[in-house]
Amino acid sequence: MAAVTLKNARKSFGDVHIIKGIDLEIKDGEFTVFVGPSGCGKSTLLRMIAGLEEFTSGSLQIGGKEMVDVESADRGVAMVFQSYALYPHMTVRDNIGFGLKMTGHDKADIAARTKTAADMLQLGPMMDRKPSQLSGGQRQRVAIGRSIVRNPKVFLFDEPLSNLDAALRVQMRIEIGKLHSDLKTTMIYVTHDQVEAMTMADKIVVLHGGIIEQVGSPLELYHRPNNLFVAGFIGSPKMNFIPVTVSSVKGKAATVTLPGDHKVTVPLAGDVPAVGSKLTLGVRPEHVELGGKGAGAVKATVRAAEYLGSETMFYGTLADGSDISVKAGGLAKEKSGDTLNLVLPPAACHLFNADGKTIHNGDLTR
Amino acid sequence: MFPTPIARTKPWVQTLYKWLLPVALVLWLLPLIGIAVTSIRPSSDLAAGNYFGMPSGFDFVKNYSAVFENSNIGWYILNSFKVTIPTVIGAVALSCLTGFALAVYKFKSNLLVFFMFVAGNFVPFQILAIPVRDLTQGMGLYNTTTGLVLFHVAFQTGFCTLFMRNFIKGLPFALIESARVEGVNEWKIFWYIVVPLMRPAIAALSVLIFTFIWNDYFWATVMANSADVRPVTAGMSELKGQWKVAWELISAASIIAALPPVAMFFLMQKHFIAGLTLGATKG
Repeated sequence: MAAVTLKNARKSFGDVHIIKGIDLEIKDGEFTVFVGPSGCGKSTLLRMIAGLEEFTSGSLQIGGKEMVDVESADRGVAMVFQSYALYPHMTVRDNIGFGLKMTGHDKADIAARTKTAADMLQLGPMMDRKPSQLSGGQRQRVAIGRSIVRNPKVFLFDEPLSNLDAALRVQMRIEIGKLHSDLKTTMIYVTHDQVEAMTMADKIVVLHGGIIEQVGSPLELYHRPNNLFVAGFIGSPKMNFIPVTVSSVKGKAATVTLPGDHKVTVPLAGDVPAVGSKLTLGVRPEHVELGGKGAGAVKATVRAAEYLGSETMFYGTLADGSDISVKAGGLAKEKSGDTLNLVLPPAACHLFNADGKTIHNGDLTR
Repeated sequence: MFPTPIARTKPWVQTLYKWLLPVALVLWLLPLIGIAVTSIRPSSDLAAGNYFGMPSGFDFVKNYSAVFENSNIGWYILNSFKVTIPTVIGAVALSCLTGFALAVYKFKSNLLVFFMFVAGNFVPFQILAIPVRDLTQGMGLYNTTTGLVLFHVAFQTGFCTLFMRNFIKGLPFALIESARVEGVNEWKIFWYIVVPLMRPAIAALSVLIFTFIWNDYFWATVMANSADVRPVTAGMSELKGQWKVAWELISAASIIAALPPVAMFFLMQKHFIAGLTLGATKG
């Protein structure tokens, strides 16, 4: 049980700066997910916390103690690797107990702890098997069991589910979530899959290019992204970005012109942009509505349609050639080549300035 | 499928294959067959110039027992073992350690050290014969089993290190990292995780080095001249005879001398289980 605090953490390999100054606080017992595209430094940051990579500079505290110069084994962390890293020549039982045995725990203690972990993860019937005789999901459970027996203060997961097939991934996601609610230990979880991040996290840390783009709860990031990157990264399918120009400002509302001369008036909460400035309007595919009437509708030509039964995804092109995707009901009948009459609900529209910073969030929870 | 199974090729290819395969096989085995046949030839055949024809008799028992009666071959074989076994153990054990160090630890001169191990293999050892002989004499190791073992270990470790380092590099590094996070110290990681996974490599290398050292003739003659330490390869020359070369006995002795490496191969064969690491990571 411990909080984790990073202060100005940096990591460079020679001239290549991977982590460029991370300040982060993770509360005791929190399930935190590091998410970001490949190469953003999320795994490196996790490995720095684990003690597998040295800090170039900065500070790391676990449970209030400075840990930068402490050996990995003494940090009170346990790590689950993407590749599971099970010892192939040992049985499941030996795999789980190996760390304890090597660090001089007595046999009865090891047996008891191994049994607790095995019960928790339903590994009982396969304790005497070798890793090669297990399925992917079972191997993953053994890897988790190996970290549980150490009673760590912090669990670290490095993309633990990316080697599993889709169905197993959903199941393991739920199991890890349950594990967290049972153990109530601080967990840090790295993934590039934003669905995993959204479903499991108490707190998501979005990393990009070695810096934190935004920290917040899943819904906070969904409704109130700080910038274009987070807006585009969180949410599936991806948010639509449409280049717009501010044509008029009236009180706390700005009217912007979309390609094809269509206008949307967005009510603003904060600062008001200058007339004539070029902005990016963001609207999520699930918030775009079909069935606009007459001149008020935004016209888009369908390029491709996916009929999923529960919903229909349209990938269309606007008047200026920019892309727009729309998530419509499962009964929508338009097909490739048809024209869609779209409505962009002003309340759901986000506005970003030329630097990609948010100037207005279309937060529907407000 | 590649290669195409013979059963699915054109008939003329199949016929050609059926004829050429045994021919190639016999050609390949000709030296071995020659020695085997010579080893059972009566000596009169060789005196009469019947080197390659049908043997006029089957003198298996006579020739093979003569090898033991006319020479100290039993003693030489024992000498061979006394040199070969410690060398195999020494070279393989040392290269497990060097290979582990070079594969697992990042340090500045890592690649340089590794290349030196590799580069050593490219030095033709013949040019070292005289300096090594002088050195052994200076160290009082000339004509001793210890001297032979030490120099064999020194010469083989380069190649063994190359072999082991590359094998360990191929193991999933997460295994080592995972053990480190669990607080297992480096020696235990080496002993309990890396060594068990290296078993196929250790087996393969042991057989290889066993054969190399057993078959060594060069260093056996350079570093020793007394019958007390002479291994079987060098000791066989005793059978040459005073007036004529007794080829049938030398052939028989060669066959006897070749048996241990062959036996070694079959003994260790069950350890050549590829894919021992299967299941360690995603499989």
